Order: sequence, then C-alpha cells, then structure tokens
Amino acid sequence: MIKMKTKIKYILALVIGAQLLNSCKKDLDVNFQERILVDNYYKTPADALAALISVYDRFGYQDGGLYDKVAIMDVAGDDQLAGGGSSTDINALQVISNYTLTPAIGPQTYLWNKGYAGIYRANILLSRIDAISMDATTKARYTAEAKTLRALFYFDLVRFFKNIPLLTAEVPVSEMYNVTQVPQEDVYAFIEKELVAAIPGLPNTVPAATEGGRLTKGAAQALLGKVYLWEKKYQLAADQFAIVNGPTPGQANPTYGYKLLPNFADLWKVPNKFNSESILEIVHTGASLGNWNDAGATEGNLLNIITGPRGYNPNAAAPDYYSGYSFLVFTKAFFDFIHFDPRNGATVANLDSLEKNYIIGNYDGNGPAGSGNKRPGYTPGYNNTGYFLGKFIARQSNKTTIGTNFDLNFSQDIYEIRLADTYLLEAESIMNATPGAVGTGSRAYQLLNAVRARVGLNPVAVTQDNIEKERRLELAGEGHRWLDLIRWGKAATVLASKGFVAGKNEIFPIPINELNNTKLLQSKEWGGTK
Amino acid sequence: MFCFLVFPMALLAQDIPVTGKVTEQNGAPLPGVTVKLDGTTKAASTDANGVFAIQAAVGSKLTVSLIGMATQTVTVPAGGRINVSLKADSKDLSEVVVVGYGTQKKSVVTGAISSVKASDLENQPVVRIEQSLQGRTSGLTIAATSGQPGSSATVRLRGFTSFGNDKNNPLWVVDGVVIDNGGIGYLNQNDIESIEVLKDAASAAIYGARAASGVILVTTKKGKAGNISINYSGYYGTQAPAKKLDMLNASQYATVRNQAASAAGVALPYADPASYGVGTDWQSLIFNDAAPKQNHEVSISGGSDKATFYTSFGYTDIDGIVATPISKFNRANIRLNSTYKPAKWITIGENLGYSHAVTSGIGETNREYGGVLSSAINLDPIMPAVIDNPTAAASVYNPNNPLGFKDDNGNFYSIPAGGFQEMKNPLAYQKTRLGNYNWDHNIIGNAFVDIEPVKGLHVRSTLGTKLAFYGGDTFTPAFFLGNGPGGVNATATLSRNLNYLINYNFENTVSYNRVFDKHNITLLVGQGAYKDNNARGVTSTYGNIPATTFDEASFRYNALAASRTTSGSDGTDHRVNSLFSRLQYNYAEKYLFTALIRRDGSSRFGANHKFGYFPSASVGWVPTLEDFFPKNNVLTFLKLRGSYGVTGQDLIGDFSYVPTVGPGRNYTFGTTETIGIGYSPNAPANPDLKWEETRQTDIGFEATLLNNITLNFDWYKKKTIGILQNPPVPGYTGSGSFAANVADMENTGVELELGYRKKIGDFNIGINGNASFFKNKVTKLLPGVTFIEDNTASFQTLGAITRTTLGRAYNEFYGYQTLGIFQTQAEVDSYVGPNGTKLQPNAKPGDLKFANLNGDNAITVDDRTYLGNPAPKMSYGLTINVAYKNFDFTAFGSGVAGNTIFQGLRRLDIGTQANWQTKILDSWSPSNTGATLPRLVQGDPNGNYSKFNSVYLEKGDYFRLRTIQLGYTFPKSITEKLKMQKLRVYVLSENLFTITKYSGYDPELGVTSDAGGGAVFSVDRGAYPQARSFLFGLNVGF
Repeated sequence: MIKMKTKIKYILALVIGAQLLNSCKKDLDVNFQERILVDNYYKTPADALAALISVYDRFGYQDGGLYDKVAIMDVAGDDQLAGGGSSTDINALQVISNYTLTPAIGPQTYLWNKGYAGIYRANILLSRIDAISMDATTKARYTAEAKTLRALFYFDLVRFFKNIPLLTAEVPVSEMYNVTQVPQEDVYAFIEKELVAAIPGLPNTVPAATEGGRLTKGAAQALLGKVYLWEKKYQLAADQFAIVNGPTPGQANPTYGYKLLPNFADLWKVPNKFNSESILEIVHTGASLGNWNDAGATEGNLLNIITGPRGYNPNAAAPDYYSGYSFLVFTKAFFDFIHFDPRNGATVANLDSLEKNYIIGNYDGNGPAGSGNKRPGYTPGYNNTGYFLGKFIARQSNKTTIGTNFDLNFSQDIYEIRLADTYLLEAESIMNATPGAVGTGSRAYQLLNAVRARVGLNPVAVTQDNIEKERRLELAGEGHRWLDLIRWGKAATVLASKGFVAGKNEIFPIPINELNNTKLLQSKEWGGTK
Repeated sequence: MFCFLVFPMALLAQDIPVTGKVTEQNGAPLPGVTVKLDGTTKAASTDANGVFAIQAAVGSKLTVSLIGMATQTVTVPAGGRINVSLKADSKDLSEVVVVGYGTQKKSVVTGAISSVKASDLENQPVVRIEQSLQGRTSGLTIAATSGQPGSSATVRLRGFTSFGNDKNNPLWVVDGVVIDNGGIGYLNQNDIESIEVLKDAASAAIYGARAASGVILVTTKKGKAGNISINYSGYYGTQAPAKKLDMLNASQYATVRNQAASAAGVALPYADPASYGVGTDWQSLIFNDAAPKQNHEVSISGGSDKATFYTSFGYTDIDGIVATPISKFNRANIRLNSTYKPAKWITIGENLGYSHAVTSGIGETNREYGGVLSSAINLDPIMPAVIDNPTAAASVYNPNNPLGFKDDNGNFYSIPAGGFQEMKNPLAYQKTRLGNYNWDHNIIGNAFVDIEPVKGLHVRSTLGTKLAFYGGDTFTPAFFLGNGPGGVNATATLSRNLNYLINYNFENTVSYNRVFDKHNITLLVGQGAYKDNNARGVTSTYGNIPATTFDEASFRYNALAASRTTSGSDGTDHRVNSLFSRLQYNYAEKYLFTALIRRDGSSRFGANHKFGYFPSASVGWVPTLEDFFPKNNVLTFLKLRGSYGVTGQDLIGDFSYVPTVGPGRNYTFGTTETIGIGYSPNAPANPDLKWEETRQTDIGFEATLLNNITLNFDWYKKKTIGILQNPPVPGYTGSGSFAANVADMENTGVELELGYRKKIGDFNIGINGNASFFKNKVTKLLPGVTFIEDNTASFQTLGAITRTTLGRAYNEFYGYQTLGIFQTQAEVDSYVGPNGTKLQPNAKPGDLKFANLNGDNAITVDDRTYLGNPAPKMSYGLTINVAYKNFDFTAFGSGVAGNTIFQGLRRLDIGTQANWQTKILDSWSPSNTGATLPRLVQGDPNGNYSKFNSVYLEKGDYFRLRTIQLGYTFPKSITEKLKMQKLRVYVLSENLFTITKYSGYDPELGVTSDAGGGAVFSVDRGAYPQARSFLFGLNVGF
C-alpha cells in the first residue's frame, strides 16, 4: 500500500511539474509576424513617409461599389444622368441623380468615411511626426502635406454635410460615442489656418517622374483660394488664385511653371500625367492588380470602366473604347449646349452618332459590315442618351498590361484642380470683389479668355453668365458643376426638374450609421434638429 | 496493423478452451457480445451465431456484456461449455457515455449529455456528421446551408451563445482531437461509434476555453477481441429536386410587366403578351431529376486480448441536382484504429482517419449575383435558351469579339437583355466553370499511450494532429455572357490554389478510480497544449493562355510575366495552454457529484487577461435507489440532477489587445507608376480585452416509466458575459472597428427527450422523440449603445434587414410595419401626421400603408420595427422503428417552428425585368382590390417592394420526413449457404415530403457567408435546395 502511494506521488509530481513547465506564459506568445505594433512604428523617416502615403490613399479612394466623388458630383448636376444597367444599378448614384436619396440610402457614407478616415490618418501622422528624428525640411514638408490633405478632407466634408465634428486628434475609445458637431464657421476657420500654416512647407514644384501627384505650394494655394471663394471672401480668394495663375494669364507661371495645354484633348491622354496645366491630380495606376474581392482597394481608376459603353461592338475604324457599364451619360440638353463648342469632341463620346454612321455595329442591317445582319453598336443602358463621358471613357489604349483584371485597373488620373479651373475662379473672384475691374483687357478678362483662346474661341466679356457657361463647357464631367450651382445659389432652379428640393438638397444627410448610438444630430435640412 | 492478428493467443498451462453461445431470451443468437475473463484483459466476442471461444481456467469468471443488455457473470464449468441468455436492459443504465477525458456510466452522469449511437445512424445516407445529429437529440438547432453535395450545416447548441457565426459553432472533438467546424466533414458516417453532445456548462467546462457553444464528442469504432468480422454496406440511388418554383411563364410575365408599366404611365413593353406562350422554363434546364448518389464502405475489425483493430475504407460519390456538371462531390475515407498491449499495464494505440474529397460547386449557393440558381429564378422567360437563327445570333455576338458559347448543336446561347445585371444564361455560365474543382486531403488522428502502474490509476498521454492539404484548380475561359457586370472575360485564366495546415494538441492526464464500500471516486488531473489556425497558402494565376476548356488549360503555357499573379496567405497561430482537474464521486450510484476546474491561457489576450478560469459543479440524486422509495412498476428509475458551470471563448482577431499598423493603404506618385506602400493603424487597441464567459445553470431529470418509456428533461439558463466583437463604430473616428467585450446575452430553454421501446409478439417497436425550445435575449450592450446594426444580413436596395437590440433577440428582422393596402385615394389623403401632413404623399390606391410608429409627420427610417426572428423557437425530431420478423422499418423526421424567413429570391435592382413567382398575379389592381400583395408599378414610388417590409417575410415552420426506410434481413438458412453472417437489403427515401407554407424551394436555411455573412438563419437568396432521393442499399457481414 505504501509502495503504491509513493509511486502515485512520484507520478503526480512529475505530471504536475511538466504542466507548470508547459504552461508558462511564454508559450502563448505568438509571433506577431507581419503585424507591426504601433508602439514600434513611427520611428524612422520611412515610417513617416508610409504614414503620409496612407493619407494620400484616402485622397484617391474610390468606393468598392464603383463610384467616387467625381461620379457623385456629375450625376447630382444637371448635365449628366446616372445611367448604368438599371434604375437601381449603383444605387448610390441613381438616388443622387434623381434626388431620392435618404439618410439610409445614398453616397453620403462613402463621402463621409473617405474624409474622416483620411483625417484620422493625418491626425496619426501629425501627432507622431515630431518625435521622429529626421531631416527638418522633409519633416516640415510631410507635416505640410498632411495638413493640406486634412484641410482638403474638411473642406469637402463641410461643404457636403455642413454640420460635422472637427477632430484634430485621434478619438480615444472611451470618447468614441461622445463626439459632437461644431458650427461650420469653426471648420472653415480651421481649414484656413491649416492651409496658411502648411503652404510654406511645400515645394514649388516636384519632379514629375518620381513625385508627380504630391502636394505643392500652388496646389495648397489654389485650395485656399477655393475655400475663400466658397466663403465669399472674394479678394482673399483672388489673391491666392493670382499666385497660382501667375502674373500673365495665358503665359507660364514663372515660379510654378503652370500653363494651359495648347490642345484641350491632350488633357485626357494618359501619357500626359502631371502636365503643366495640372495643379493637383488624383493619381491612379494599372499596376496594382486590383480585383473584385475588394474593388475599392485597387489603385486603378474605376471611373473609366463605369463610363464605358455596354456591349461595345466596334468596326474597323472605330474609336478604341472598351466595354463598360454606361454610367454618367450626358443629357441631350447638355449635348445640344456643347455640340458646336470645340471641346465637344474631347468631352462627349457620341456613341449615337458612331452607330448611325456604321462606325460601330450595324444597327439596322444596312451598314457595310456584314450587310443584312442587324447588330447594335452598343447595348443601351438605363437613361441611355448615346452621349458618353469622353474625358474618362474606358479605352483599349488605357487598359493595363498587368494582370488579368482589366476592368478595375485603368491608370488615368483625375484632376482635382487644374489651371483652367483656377483661371475661371480667379476671374469670378475678381468680378465679385471689384465688379468695376473686369472690362476688356483687365486681368479677369484675360483669364476668362485665355481659357477660350486655348480652344480657338473669341473673347467674351466677364459676366456671371459667361463665367457660368465657360465653366460648364470647360469642366464638364469633372465633378465641378453641382458645387458651382450650389455656390452660385442656382441649384434649386437649375436642378428642380431632377427633383432637387430647395432648403434640403444643398447638403447631404448625415449618414444614418453616424447617428446610431452617437451624439451627432441630423441636419435640419434632412428633418433633424441640427 | 495486420501483424497483430498473427499473434497467437497466449496459452497458459491451466487454461482450457471454453466455448459457448450467447442468446437473447427468445433464443435469437446475439452477435458482438464481449466475453471477458475477469481479472485479465483477455476477451473475445461472439460471432453472428452468438458463438464465442476463449481460453480460461475452470472456475474462473467470465463477464458477458453487450450494450443494451444486462451484464452477466458466469463461472467456467468443467468441460468449458457455457450457454448464456442475456436479458434486455431496457433502462440502458449500463450504457456508457463519453464525457471528455474518459467515460462514465450513463446512470451516474450528472451533466446534460445527449448521445447518438452507431445503431441510430446505420444506413442513414448522410454525408456529414451534422446531418446525422439533426433531429436526433434535443438542444440542437441544425439547418443545412445548402443542398450542394458535401455542404456543411449550421449547428447551434442551446440557442445563441455569442455574436457571429464562428463563435456559435460547437467544438468538435473526434477521439480527443479538436477539429475546426468546417473540417469535421472528413468523417465517414459508418466509422462513428457514438456521438455525445455535452450541453450544459458543467459537462462542457472540461473543454473550458472553447466550450461555450457546446462540445460534441465523436468516438470512432474500435475493434473487439474475437473473430475478425468483415462488413460491407452501401447504397445507390438517384436524387431529384423536391420542388420547383412556380415562376411566371412567358405570357404571364409579359402581362405582369405591362401591368407595372401601365400603372407607371409608361409605354407597354409587350404589345401582345399572349403571343409569347410558355417560353423558357429556366429551372428545368438546370435541374437534374436523376442525379446519382452512392456510398460504399468495407470495414474489417477484430483483435485478441493483446490487440484490437478496426479498419475501413469508404467511398461516397454524389452528383448535385442543380447544374450537375458543375455540382459534384466525392470522398474516399480510410480509417485505422488499433490498440496494442505489450504488457498488462500499458496500452498504446492510435485512431487515424484519412479522407480525400473532390468537390465541384456551382459557386453561388445562396446569392443573387448571377449563379445558375439566381439566374434561373430571375431571367426573363421570353428569352430563349439558345439562338437557333444565325442572323439573330449575329445581332447579339460581335464577330470581332467571338467569345460566345455554343451548345452541342452549334447554336449560340442567348444572352440576357440589358438591365439583368450579373444574371447569365445558366447553360452558358455552366460551361465557364466546367471541370473546376476543389480538393482536400485530411489526416486527422491521435496516438496515445496509457499506463496503469497500479489498478485504477491511468497515466495517459495523447498527441493529436490535424494535417490538412487543400486547394483547387479553376479555369475561366474567355467568354461573353452578357453586358452586365462580370459578363465579359477577355482572356482565359488558369488559377491554382494550394494550402496546408498543421494543428496539434498534446494532452497528458492522470486519472485514478477507486471504489471502497459504496464510494466510487474518480480523480482526473490533466494538462493540454493546443495550436491551430496556422494555415499557409498560395494562389497562382496565369492569364492570357490559349486554352478554351479546363482540359486544355495548363501552367505549361508560360504566360507573360505581366499576366501572372500570385498571392499568399498566412494564418496566425492560435495557441491555448490548459490545466484541468475533475472529481467524480458517487455513493452507491445514488448520490452523485462532479466538480471540475479548467484554467486556459490564450495567445489572443494580453497580459491583463491572458488566463481564464472555468469552474463547474454538478450533483445528482437517484431517489429510486433509496430504500424508502416504494418499489413499483411505474417509475423504475429516476435521476434528478442540477449543474452550474462556466465556459469561455477566445474567438476574436489575433493581437486585438495591442495596436498594430496595417498595410494596403497605398498610393502612387509619379509617372513611373511605382506604388508607394502606406501604413496606418488598423484599429484602436483594447488591452483589457478578455475572455467571453458563459455561465449556465441546468436542472433536469431522467426517468424510466413502465420499463418501456425513457424520459429526459432539462431546463437551462445560459448567460454569456462580455461577448467579443468588433462593434460597428461611427465613421467619424476614421479608425475602423476595434475588438471589445461588447454585450451580454441570455438564453433560456427546455429540452425533452422521450423514448419508447416495446416488443409485442413479433413486432419490435421503438419510438424516440425530442423537442427543444429556447428564448434568446440581449441583456447588455456597450455604454451608450442601444442596438447594433452591422449589416449582418442585408439585401440590395433594402439595406440592412436585421438589427440586434438591447432587450430583444439576437438579430431580428427590422423593417417597416404595414397596415394593409390603401384601397382609395381618400384613404391615402386622410393618412396624415399630427400636423396634418400627408404621411405617404406619393401613394396611390393599391400601395402599402406603412405604420407611422414614432408619431411624427413622415414615414422615415425611424418608423422601422421588429418583424420577426430568423431563428426557430423550437426544433424537434421523431424516429419510429418497427421490426417484424425479418423486416425492419424506420421513419425519421424533424422540423422547426417559430421562425421567420426572408424570401429574397427575386433580385430587386433588376427592377420589373426580373421574373416573378405566380403569387404576384395576386397583386392589387383596380379589378383585384382584395389582393394580398400591393400594386406593382415600375419605379415603385411608394416603396411597396423597395422598403423592407413584411412582403418579404414568411413563416419558416416545417416538418420534414428526412428518411423512410424499409429493410429485409435474409434468414440464417440462406446466409449460411452464402457463408455470410448477415445479409440485409433495404430501400430508402430521403426528404420524401416537407410540410411547410414557405414559398421558396426549401425552408431549411442555415447560415451561409454567401447570404451576407454574419450569423443569420433563414435568409433565402436562392439557396441550393436539398434533394429528394430514392436509394437501394445492401449490408453484408462476413
């Protein structure tokens, strides 16, 4: 009996001992692998650059549902319709195109999250960069870039939503549901302050090959000009635009090198990225192998595929369009408006005319290609007008050569700000600041007519009406029209036929998810109390 | 392993050969009875004639036992011939159940454990183990996720333990090896000896850290000492769809579309609806009414007193009933279980299963994005399946882009009109996936050594592993299937995916059992170390290869570097270390007590909360054994039991307790198109993240009435504290969601199991039924949060359709309440808010009237409410066995009640172009004002069909006759001539009928990621229905 007990004791001791050895905490420490701890990061200049890139990432971010800010602004305006495959295809665009959006359904979640994720990432960098030991000029430049991007995100958010929280640091988990909105004046004041502080840290120019797309002084000043103009601070706006546009309209800016491209159509050619007219562009590349698992993660430009015509059937000499989803089509009214303007060819891809001339398809069986066979040149989508967005339409020549997923990897850039835009905005600012100083030969006159002269049009007088017409023609399909109409106070009249309701549709509703469980309030325009 | 067979049985000098026959009381021979020589490990088992042979000394004792029979001990007489007649033990009290790290006599178990034995599962044509549990035991809610052969089912034990899908999956333990939920499909049904469902926390707590959602223990068959037995069992048959949807035919479709257009005041799309006739019946083109299904298994088992073995080979081959050429499953299994005793005090052995499965799937089994089923449901019936007119084909297919598919007659398949989105001609789509398959190899098993240095003391060490290799080959030809998204694939691509996984667990236990007087004590201490989730994989894709079919495709076509893509994946090791101990005590099998505690440490938590403690205790009392209990024939056995225990869960993302930065936030600078790699924090960290804890109280009883009726009853209350989730966070934080202990939830329920067994003349009747009810309620959410709307289930254009709210059940349907249909414009005009504003200004007669629940002046999202619970309140099952002479009959059915189904078969963003079921014919029109459905109008200005309301919800109650079987066992006189021990033939039907009011294919809708992920039952987006089959089977024993 004693013997057995001793045996048991030994065995128990052995087993328990083994357990203690086995169960020490160390055994549970799993290798972090590719995961980098925040505490170990933000130490080197390379870390700072990666953090800065993450902010730019949101600047270029397009929704995985295949739309972006430009698409939203385009279809919200009077010149374009959502189109697509059906009345609910990319529903976020449909509901803004026909003004049936609600706090639950619409593109506002994308606009909101895009901005605030960018602001979060900028806040992260700005709160940590001071502690990183690196070259002072580079540090100042990164700081300035992050501040400028943060200001840009806020400028969009305050214009789209009016009543927004102003967050300049990370929100601790404990405060997550306690954030409140601030008056819009506070946001504008913050944006101005940030941009003014950032401008000195930015370079005049960047080498296009390696840094094209990064922020420059000119880009931040143009943005500040837009902010002032939006606030109706016309003289301040004109001053900023003047720095950007240079002393002689039509001539190159001696400091920044900005100059209108001689040929309007060249603006939409991919090899002309970072051209002299480009002040700030959203860069896309065909090299990221973006795929359908997460279309929003591609670095390619989704605007291209959605504006391509459906079921494109080219004949031998047809343009090299690539079949897409037929969104953002121009209205007949706009086509009539631009029909005889020199910019028509580059702006509108007229599939209707291509088909009737048998350049594509053989729609009535009477054309040259396989006579007798009826074959449409393309498949009409929803809202089809036959007038596609030529500036961004998907093209075989722009198709990526990398990977197999061509649809999501077009590499065309999008202009956030280009010189023709700032020319016209300066003219508009001057006209409002000093209404008497816009006569023939004045700076405002030169600015407006430099834009016209580039496409071979005769000069016209600087009037509100002429500026409006010029912006509508020059910037069609680039996401400016709706914001212009809001700024001019003309949205309610011009967009009434689309369903725009005055006193409501000037802003987007706060996305419903933001109201769930939080202290945020819906704007009055959308039935709320803010 | 066969070498063990040639070991001669040890012959000892004083032993004589003992032979005998074991019979039932009626004289029928009993095969498979264990005859064990007391005080030794020497044993034999009886053959089909009930005959055994063993070496034993005269005067020594033999124990004769068989599950379901009362054990007898007999003394070896001189001459060595013994005949034993065993009595049926109707109480099953000698039955043994597996309780985790050991077994226990059923009569002394204090926890709530349900078992399913091999005999219950024999000849049931199920492919996966979840299905074999469905309807068999109480406490489980099980629903198939798809009728795709080889698909898993969703298993929920006692309601919902946590949020999310994975966290509600029970823990599967096969012969002591922890298997992930998806991986459990490797098991061959016929190899299973028993399945035990540990329902209450007191039983499950021995698996502490991962036991919160219940534990299911599977034990595979072992060899028995005695003769070698060889068994074959198999079946062959065909399957067909049980139901076709009543879709509109072409002329009905044209009529309805005209009606919608006319209501909207736009031009009618069809001039003469009647001229289209019946049109295309897409369903009949993809359904197979004779899809074969077969299964074969051969097992060989046997052993001696020194060694036993069980080995089997199984093969299953099933064709799906939907798009058969791309819906197939086959699996081969090999199993080898053996034990060996090199000395009296040591046993070594292994349980090893290998399986290889090859699956072709239709891809989208419960999705509305252009798979074969959703296309067949949504496509317009006017569209022909093929274009047999070349001129017409030329108008569809561009000769410069000849990517269209032709049928066997050389005709192009038709393509859907614009607006049909991802919908594709299912016949053409099928061709694009032809040949693609996924495969897996699983080697799962353990090796153990068990040392018994002194009687009753076992020191056991087990090393278990799961080694899995899996992947797939996918070829996508260049194709043109339509103008919608995904309709064109410009270049042919071939993709290969390869993965491997090695999980292991290493467990060491010491147990000691001692009986003195009437005290019976078993003490167990143990330690375990576990590692899982370390899958590693790569995928390589070659684009632009010149192949047009899967057979032609090969990686030998050296695609250009730019057309090759690869990606890799890495799992993160999940490690758990555990210590546990358990005390089981009973006094005279009358007073029962079990207590245990387990401590687990997990790699998923930080230093603050790395370890969790999971204690439990349970007690039982058997009053029928008390002297004071009156002896009677009514209540022959009663056991009362109660338990309380705590279990845990650590299923949350790895490293959520520390803040990490993540990649993929990239941007490109410059014309060189060099992508800059951006990093930013993934989410705020939560260093206080800790174990999710589930506390459960269980009170129950087991009783035997009138010797024939067994009754089990349990009541439980289960409360989960600190449910782990990445909660939806406001977008303005910009940071993404973080991991937190976000909620508490409570489930209460009752479970009932009832059994009846009776022999009346030549009839042997057995009836088993069970029913479970549960109620689920969220009792706490994060401060300031009153509900969670995380798009767990959402539907195009409707948005989120469920919401989890404090004080209500987990994920209830949430939408607009309807108050009927407006019959007149006056009704519309008089439906106003408090200030007189018209609530539905756009409504017309025939539109739905939505309830203005918040009493303001508009119908807004704030007027939504709870419209039903997707999870069934009740699950039940019923089995009836009747044997008469050589015939046997089994009927087995199960069902659920009290749930609501979201019927989302129709794709909404296709507008009025998508086809309808015939019930749309009863939509409101001025001539049909008593309609059940609101009016149909293009654009749907009132949101009758585009605001989520009860139009989409239906009752989910059903009862399904799962199997009905009739068998015939050939009499001895014939089998002996054939040198067989057993020969049985049977016919069987699965899913012969389902009683339900549900209008979709199949009311049984488990949780699928296709249906929007999350954890929501009963969301039907065109789920692959389960087949009805007719099978012929054969059992042969040698």
